[in-house]
Amino acid sequence: MLALRAEKICKSFRGLFKKKEVLHEVSLSIEEGEVFGILGPNGAGKTTLMSIFSTLIRPDEGRLEVFGLDAKKKTHAVRERINISSGNPNFPWSLTVRENLNHSAMLYGLYGRDLARSVDEAISAFELEAHADSKFETLSTGTKQRVSLAKSILNRPEILFLDEPTSGLDPDMALKTRALIKKIYQEQEITVVLTTHYMPEAEELCDRIAFLRGGSLIALGTPGELKRALKIGHRIFVQYEGDLDPMKLRIIPGVMDVRASPGKVEMVFDHSERAVSRIIKAFEGADILDIGIDQPDLEDVFLELAR
Amino acid sequence: MNWRGEVNKFLSATYKNWIISKRNVFTVFELIFWPFIGLISIGLLTRFLEVTDDMVAFVLVGAIALSILQISQIDVAYILLFDLWSKSIKQTFVAPIRGYHLVFGALLFGVIRGAVVFLILAVASSRFFGFDFLAGGPVTVIVFLAGMFITAASIGMAVCISILLFGQRADVAAWSLSGIMMLVSGVYYPVEILPGPLQLLSRSTPLTYFLEYYRAAYGYGSHHILLGMGLALLYFAASLLVLNMAIERARKTGMMLRLSE
Repeated sequence: MLALRAEKICKSFRGLFKKKEVLHEVSLSIEEGEVFGILGPNGAGKTTLMSIFSTLIRPDEGRLEVFGLDAKKKTHAVRERINISSGNPNFPWSLTVRENLNHSAMLYGLYGRDLARSVDEAISAFELEAHADSKFETLSTGTKQRVSLAKSILNRPEILFLDEPTSGLDPDMALKTRALIKKIYQEQEITVVLTTHYMPEAEELCDRIAFLRGGSLIALGTPGELKRALKIGHRIFVQYEGDLDPMKLRIIPGVMDVRASPGKVEMVFDHSERAVSRIIKAFEGADILDIGIDQPDLEDVFLELAR
Repeated sequence: MNWRGEVNKFLSATYKNWIISKRNVFTVFELIFWPFIGLISIGLLTRFLEVTDDMVAFVLVGAIALSILQISQIDVAYILLFDLWSKSIKQTFVAPIRGYHLVFGALLFGVIRGAVVFLILAVASSRFFGFDFLAGGPVTVIVFLAGMFITAASIGMAVCISILLFGQRADVAAWSLSGIMMLVSGVYYPVEILPGPLQLLSRSTPLTYFLEYYRAAYGYGSHHILLGMGLALLYFAASLLVLNMAIERARKTGMMLRLSE
């Protein structure tokens, strides 16, 4: 079943003198149980798209369905089934962590033992026990982020929107937060939609990725599909002495690109397995001095698409 | 959603206002210090001017009404003000909550605080200036307070609407609107002394009728409480409707996002 279906979503914001188009006909579908990433450079429209998906703001045009429900007509029914955690989150300053979570749980209509249990579970899931009675204003950036994540699971959402969940966190805390996110969606089997600037995070967590640039969706697929589509494969560098016909390299199975210069060849393969043995075969008659393999990652996809 | 969940949605705003108020030293000033100082100053002014006891009652009713109105309207305005100041508006509006949940929840707290202010001021004015706040009987007091609270809710909603339409700088409305009410409703004087156009405005303001109603118990003219109550309820319903429209508009214009940044 589809967890979310967006069809031709458009959004503009009116400035002082002119209208600025932030999203242009964005269409995508997200399967139930999928971890879906939305990537793009600053100003690509990621946060606006997440805000539309979470029904915080309305699109100008287009249709959004969440579990088959029209988000425009059945907004409240949709809100019961989703939640969002944003980067650099804010909550009322003078409320403690527990009070903020109690308040949020009340907004979702939780009460009595259910409310207390949900708040306790959220505090425990994001290791906030030591901070439960601390005021929000006294917390570190990382702990505030964890409060936001804790808040986002209070109503046991079926879709969880995470807008830059590790933004502003140090590497150790980011790693810990990613592990917690992974644990939550694996244990609760929920659909996760996340935006991030951190490519290893997207690669580690996401089944599929949508890439936004200038408000338009320009690529969609698994990390592997995106790399293949953009011919971003494993780069193999060979330094050699002797004679070599670069044409022989172009016919090696799996080769996507070959760039040759005197004594040096750079090849791009869709997979590095078995490529090295094939390369060695193709270099018969020449002496290989050095071979290097550069694993591609989503960073390369990002750089390619953001250009 | 069962009824207890629905009740908790209402109480979410009460809960937040209560926690923030109890931690805020400013609450003591809001609840006790400023109303008390205002009442005593006005009372002493009446002594200096050597006005009659009836006139003292006239002025003190106005002072008490203004304090109740200010405290109760700010509690409703706090629906957005606290979130605006802490930039956490989106945390509230991504939840399955409606405008009326927030308004009634915050108003409940406003009613409690307004009632406390009334008690403090009524006792103080009786003790220091011999003002019998129960002269018209308990029903008069209850109707007067009900009118104050309904009016305060409409003013509080107007503040929220201004913020949703015009952004953060509109929070100044929280302190300005009750001042305008004070001017046109005859808090310290009969509205008859106002210039013509302002008299028209005062006749369209429910607070005018509630003040006249309470003062009538002290022998000051007649009252049209039913008209006042009808107007108050009409404004309340209209404010609720416009608040929901303003929330929806803020979602369309992106104001909801900007207020959280």
